Amino acid sequence: MRSAGVWAVLAVAAATLALPLVLDSGGLAVYVQVAVSASVVVGISLLMGYAGQVSLGQAVFFATGGYTAALVSQAGLPTLAGLLAAPVVAALCALVLGLPLLRLRGHHLAFATIAVHLIFLAVVAQTDALGGSTGLQGIPLLSLGPVEVSTNQGYAYVAWAVLAVVVVVARNIVRSRPGRALRALATSETAAASSGIPVGRYKLTVFAVSAAFAGAAGGVFAFYIGFLSPGMFPVSMSITYVVMAVVGGLGSVWGAVAGTALVTVLVHYLGVLGTLGGMPDYAPSVLTYAVYGLVLVLTVLFLPHGVLPSLADWWRRRSGAREGRDRAGEEEREAAPA
Amino acid sequence: MAELQITGLSRSFGGVHAVQDVDLTVADGETRGIIGPNGAGKSTLFNLISGHLRPDRGGVSLDGRPLDRLPAHRRARRGVAIVFQAARIFPGMTVLENVMVGAHLRASAGFTAAVLRLPAHRAAERRIRELALDSLDRVGLSDRAEDPAASLPIGLQRAMQLARALCADPALLLLDEPASGLRAPERERLASIVEELHEDGQTTLLIEHDVAFVSRLSDRVTVLDLGRVIAEGTPEQVRDDPAVVSAYLGTGEGAAA
Repeated sequence: MRSAGVWAVLAVAAATLALPLVLDSGGLAVYVQVAVSASVVVGISLLMGYAGQVSLGQAVFFATGGYTAALVSQAGLPTLAGLLAAPVVAALCALVLGLPLLRLRGHHLAFATIAVHLIFLAVVAQTDALGGSTGLQGIPLLSLGPVEVSTNQGYAYVAWAVLAVVVVVARNIVRSRPGRALRALATSETAAASSGIPVGRYKLTVFAVSAAFAGAAGGVFAFYIGFLSPGMFPVSMSITYVVMAVVGGLGSVWGAVAGTALVTVLVHYLGVLGTLGGMPDYAPSVLTYAVYGLVLVLTVLFLPHGVLPSLADWWRRRSGAREGRDRAGEEEREAAPA
Repeated sequence: MAELQITGLSRSFGGVHAVQDVDLTVADGETRGIIGPNGAGKSTLFNLISGHLRPDRGGVSLDGRPLDRLPAHRRARRGVAIVFQAARIFPGMTVLENVMVGAHLRASAGFTAAVLRLPAHRAAERRIRELALDSLDRVGLSDRAEDPAASLPIGLQRAMQLARALCADPALLLLDEPASGLRAPERERLASIVEELHEDGQTTLLIEHDVAFVSRLSDRVTVLDLGRVIAEGTPEQVRDDPAVVSAYLGTGEGAAA
């Protein structure tokens, strides 16, 4: 079973490395987009699934990372320094914002993070140093030592490498003393505090970690696209990230990646469908927005734990059925009404 | 070593004096029963000791050091452990993981050690796991370690919470109606665990409705009514106290005792 898992990971890794070589330019753009978004979504999954906090402003940290990378590079510093500074500055912003925000819970926190997003957009649009509403132009290409990343294939590898780091960091946090503490406080802050867990500090830390993931992704995005403007980070972007996390399964690191891939690919091809000849003008936006809604509703109705965890459950139950009755599963069902 | 000292502790909700001018001293190694009718302020008292509520007046100190300015998690660090009346389990985790949360304080590896998989992380995980397995063994739950916590019946969930509290190696153990909803054999099992802890010198505060149960386990019993201490003494003294008879036993609830 364990070796099967290792083979699966190797197969996925090999496919991940091979895909940029065979995809056409449209496919490659989607591929980069998946890796960039997934880095943000893994953070949201950690924040919502493990620490029980909702953020509908995660695109703010994505944008913060992007602007940081751009400004550092335009100041004449190495672009790699810009890429490394992106998650750091995003995490620092999260620490400052988190101090007051994380006193709120549930819907209040969700609304407050949307408000932060709107304020951020307004402030950036008015700040000349950030290019105002027209944005920052001419961001240099990313250089890794002597190698300048100039092709989309190159950015695909950079984006997936960043995602790999994000996944490893997230999994290492989850499977550890602080990870257990986070899962504990997500269900009962009172019980967690009684076990000596500093609830406030841990929530703030995981908020900063999720912001760092988003910031790193934003840094890659800035170099890849080459310009930034506030219009590129609408509130709907933050909501999309949450949809991806929910579809993939909150609290599942691989689920976050799968959910991102599923939603991104679906939305992309519906966009293609919407812009086919003979389609009305409103077709693309109707199709994409309808898809968010539909995917979210279907997931919540039929796969409340998300796509990947539900699949894993189904697989376990199938192999469990072969080995005989699954004792834990039986008892879980018995205890459910109590 | 753990001596609990409470002086003039008061807390009201709106106009209701839930806890009013309570003085209480619990000696090191003592098992103290706290009884009283519903609404007597027993659970509020526990929440004031563990730091989940702030008092209006008065103070709590452990071994002569005041706890008053400390939030709940810092009091846990000082050795205050509580088993809540309502099952506060972490449902997404296994039984073992639930108890491992209780050993959080017994190791210090944090986020950096976890992310970089430093030796400190591995050492902490090993130690926490060992402590948790010991605690599970103590409450007789070793064979359920890998089961999902939510799959345990309510009595065993209590035992699991006790294991979680013990995992922290508490100086002061607060048990809020640990026997309620338990069947007879589970109740016996719990009683023998509390007795063992007592022999090991554990300082324990035990809230319980069942007077016979609390009398059997406690060195001394404090009776609360409407937020005030109305009697204190050995179980026998308290049972014969006229104030207790009228306030508490007179309700018929303690008739069996």
